[in-house]
Order: sequence, then structure tokens, then C-alpha cells
Amino acid sequence: MRATIRRPGARPGVGPLGAVILTLVCVLMLLPVIWTVLSVTKPTNVAFVNPPVLGYSPTLESFADLWQTTYFYRYLLNTFVVAVVSTLVALVLGIPAAYALSRFPGWVSVALLLLALVFRSLPRFAIVLPLYDLSRSLGIYDTRFVLAMALVAINQPFTIWLLRNFFAAIPRELDEAAMLDGCRRHQILTRIMVPLLGPGILTAAIFVFFFAFQEYLTAVVLTNTEAGTVPVFIATQLGQTLPMLQQAGAAAVLLTIPVMVFAFVAQRYLVAGLSSGSVRG
Amino acid sequence: MRRGEFYGLVGPSVAVMVGLLVVPLYLTVKWSFQEVDYGSPGQFVGLDNYAQAFSDPRFGRALIFTTGLTVAVTAVLLGAGYVLAATVHRLSRMRPVVLGILLISYVIPNVVGATMFSWLFDQNFGGVVNLAWTWLSGEEVLWYVQTWPNRIMVALNVIWSMLPFATLILLAGLQGVPRDVLEAAQLDGAGPLRTHWSIIVPSIRGVIGFVGLISIMDILRVFDNLVPLSPQAVQLGNESVMLYIFNIAFQDGGQDLGLGSALSVLTIVVILVMLYPFLRDVVREARQA
Repeated sequence: MRATIRRPGARPGVGPLGAVILTLVCVLMLLPVIWTVLSVTKPTNVAFVNPPVLGYSPTLESFADLWQTTYFYRYLLNTFVVAVVSTLVALVLGIPAAYALSRFPGWVSVALLLLALVFRSLPRFAIVLPLYDLSRSLGIYDTRFVLAMALVAINQPFTIWLLRNFFAAIPRELDEAAMLDGCRRHQILTRIMVPLLGPGILTAAIFVFFFAFQEYLTAVVLTNTEAGTVPVFIATQLGQTLPMLQQAGAAAVLLTIPVMVFAFVAQRYLVAGLSSGSVRG
Repeated sequence: MRRGEFYGLVGPSVAVMVGLLVVPLYLTVKWSFQEVDYGSPGQFVGLDNYAQAFSDPRFGRALIFTTGLTVAVTAVLLGAGYVLAATVHRLSRMRPVVLGILLISYVIPNVVGATMFSWLFDQNFGGVVNLAWTWLSGEEVLWYVQTWPNRIMVALNVIWSMLPFATLILLAGLQGVPRDVLEAAQLDGAGPLRTHWSIIVPSIRGVIGFVGLISIMDILRVFDNLVPLSPQAVQLGNESVMLYIFNIAFQDGGQDLGLGSALSVLTIVVILVMLYPFLRDVVREARQA
């Protein structure tokens, strides 16, 4: 599971030039976040003035504003409910399918994997605009349900590919031994494979959660005021009044900080998922 | 595994994908031959939508903008990603810290990252990058109004959001290069540059190709980044193909679903052509297994 396997022998180190490059890159990568944090902790009247005010007493007013004057909590709740539900459903559907694809030799498996790859790279509008039309005629437009289901479907090809690669790394002899002990196929899956693949499943869960949480295009087409997510909220605040702009910044910070912490904590899984889903795929 | 078991396990997942991916895709293809509005049945018009797509200069501009952005950004991602990966590869103790910082722009939603990015450049809001640029070059640049500065800002933002992905995959590739090969090169007197160019790059060709392919496909579909960064995309000629489809097939005032669907179909054809070598590899690998 570890993508960063330490080889014996010390690493050579980066030298002064490498250190300068890395520091510069890290600062530049963080700059948008830092600048936004500064802007939203300024008093509203100086938050976005030119030239920027750097000496100011920090205030959390824009956050209070965000909670009191907008429906931010609703968008935040929508974002998390949709991300969690779509991740759980994606795994419940994807784990058995990925297991079967890693074990069944026929051409059907290859065909399904190829189709999954094609569907993974389709332009979103080819899927989302018809879903908009269908959801309106079914009366489920602007619900968390339709957004969560759309995201399950859109992310299902990726889920299957990633998990299939993890399952393929587990030797088939294990299945055969369990069969000899009288295990049925679904028991092999639930009692042996799922516990064994814990970290792999966690990796897939993290990625599907992130994809759902990041999605803007699907959410902007399939939802309106009821089921909208935070990225939609932030985009609609743009080009409005200055307080609203600062609220958008506050929302961006509130969304970004937990994700940054999570990226540090779950780094191992993110790196493992990226390298497994691609290099070996 | 028996056939029955296979279908039982795959069934639910396939059912969801048929219902929510295949059916919508079928509708898009059907609509591309129709004059159609949301919520009402369409009327068959043959290839009219396709003819209209090819005669619309806005589509041509969107195509050129999107292709240019894709080529430029992919080249930078491969070059900068490689240098960065090779540098991070030599780290030991600081590695998790650097990787953690690199991952941040990967996990921030694109539209949110682009919003934060836009404030760095906005001359009306005292953006720090704009100030630094004016101070260094002595010229005022209007990042939102001038075509090329706007393009550069958009490209920088796409690089910012995709560089972590390119770096991490290339890093995984570098970790797979056997140590003895590198030591042999060193004994033969190859310098660091020579070792990279003649030994490492050829041996991770596949990984580099993969990063290139994913970058190309993602940038061809660029949409989120332009919403905050290029509010005047249409006037500036900085409209991507996806934004163009959105503007004519969904935005209020322009709901030309038939034309939008035809454009989606054309995009799919381009993507399939680019995917073809990769799909062929998957089939070949499956045959051998």
C-alpha cells in the first residue's frame, strides 16, 4: 500500500539550489490561500483596497457575516451530505464490481473496463445536460438525491478502475483456499477481501469524496438554491458587492482549511491512490 | 469465478452506469440531430447543428484557445513536474512536508482555487501579484481586460491546480527506476543532466506519456477555472470549448440544446481519437494476462 517505499541507503539531499527551488515553489503554491486568509481577516472597508493594507487588527467579522447573512450553512451541509452519500453508494456498488472484474477472465471484463475508461474521460455536459432535462421532468431537480446519484455515476468508472487494481494485487490462491474451506463467493468478498483491502478501500473513498466535494459543473447545472454546494455558493457571490466578495473569501477559507489539514493527514493514501490508479493502470 | 456470480457482482454498478451515463449520452447524441428545447420533444434536422457548429467563428476561436492552452500548459506541467519530482525524490526528512504543501492546490475545488487566484491579480482589489508585476516591469497590465495577460493568468491557474498531480505521478515513476542502473551510469562518468536525459527519462517514458494524456484530457475540458478568472471570456476570445457549450446550451438567454449537443459529440470524437492508443494498450495487456 505504501507508495513511498524507503530504499536502503540515505537519500542524497537536494543541495542549496534544490532547497531554493522547493521553498519558492511551496510559497507560490500557498500564496493564493495566504492572500485570501489575509483578505478575509481585514475589516470589510479595507479588505480589497488598492494598494493593500498590511497593518490592520485582524477581525473575524466576515465569518460572522457569512453565517448570519447568508445560507452558507445550508450549502456546507449540502456539500458534506452529497459527498458522504455519494462516496458510500459508490463504494457499495463499486467494490463487488471491481472484485468481479479482477477475477473474471472473459472478454466481458475487458470490454467493461474499456467502457469505464471512455466514460471517465467524457465531457461532462454530454451527461449532465440530459440529466438536467430528466431531473426536471421527474421533479427531482435541485435535490441532494439527484446530485449525489449523478456524482456516483460520474465517479463510478474511476472507482472501479482504482479498486480493480488493488484487488488484482491480491493473489487468487486466497480465493481458492477460501472456496475449499466452504466459503461462498460473497463471503469471500465480505469476510476476506474487504478487511484485507482496508487501506485500498479507504484510498478509493478519499478520492471519491474529494471528487464529489470539488465538483462545480455538475452541481451548478443540477441544483439551484435548495441543494447547491459550497463551490456553487462561492461562484454566485462573485461580481457582487464587496461584503459579499469577502464572504466568498471567508467561505473559501472555511472550506480550504479542513481540506488542507486532511491532505497532510491522509497524504499516504492520496499518494498511493495517485500512483496506483495510474502507473499500474 | 462463474458467469452467474460475475453478473451478480457487476450488475448493480452497471445498472447505475447505464441509467445515469449511457442513457444521458444517448440523449446527447439524439439531440445533436434535433432542434430541441428542455422539456419538449425535438424535431429531426439532420446535420444542421453540425453545419452550424463548423460555421460559427466563436467555435473556431474556442477551439484555438482551448488547443493552445492545452499544449502550453501540458508542456509546462511535464517540464516543471519533472524537475520538481526529481528534486522531491532526493528529499528524506522534509518530504512529507513538501508533499503536503503540494497536495493543497490539488484538493481545493477548482472554482474555489481560481477565485482565490483571481484576487492575486485583481488591480482593483490590490492584488499582490499585480502590484509586484507593476513594480518590476513598470507597466500596468489589465489582467481581466487584455486578451494575452488574461490567457497567461488562466494558464498559471491551471498549472497551479494540476502541477501536484503531474509531480506526484512522475515521482512514483522515478521511484521505480532501479538503483543499479543509475550507479552504472555514474561509474561510466555520466553527469546528472546526462543521466536524467539519457537514462531516467527514457525509462519512465510510459509514466510521462500517461501524465501527458491525463493533462491533455483534463485541460481540453477546462471550465471551472474560467468562471472566476475570465468573466469577459467571450469578448476576449478566451472562451474554452466547454464554456462555449455551457453558454449556448444552458446559460439564460441562449438555450440552443441541439447545437450544444453537437459540440459535445464532436468533443467526444476528439477525445476518443486521443484515447485510442491507450485503449489499445489496455486490450493488449488484458490479452496477455
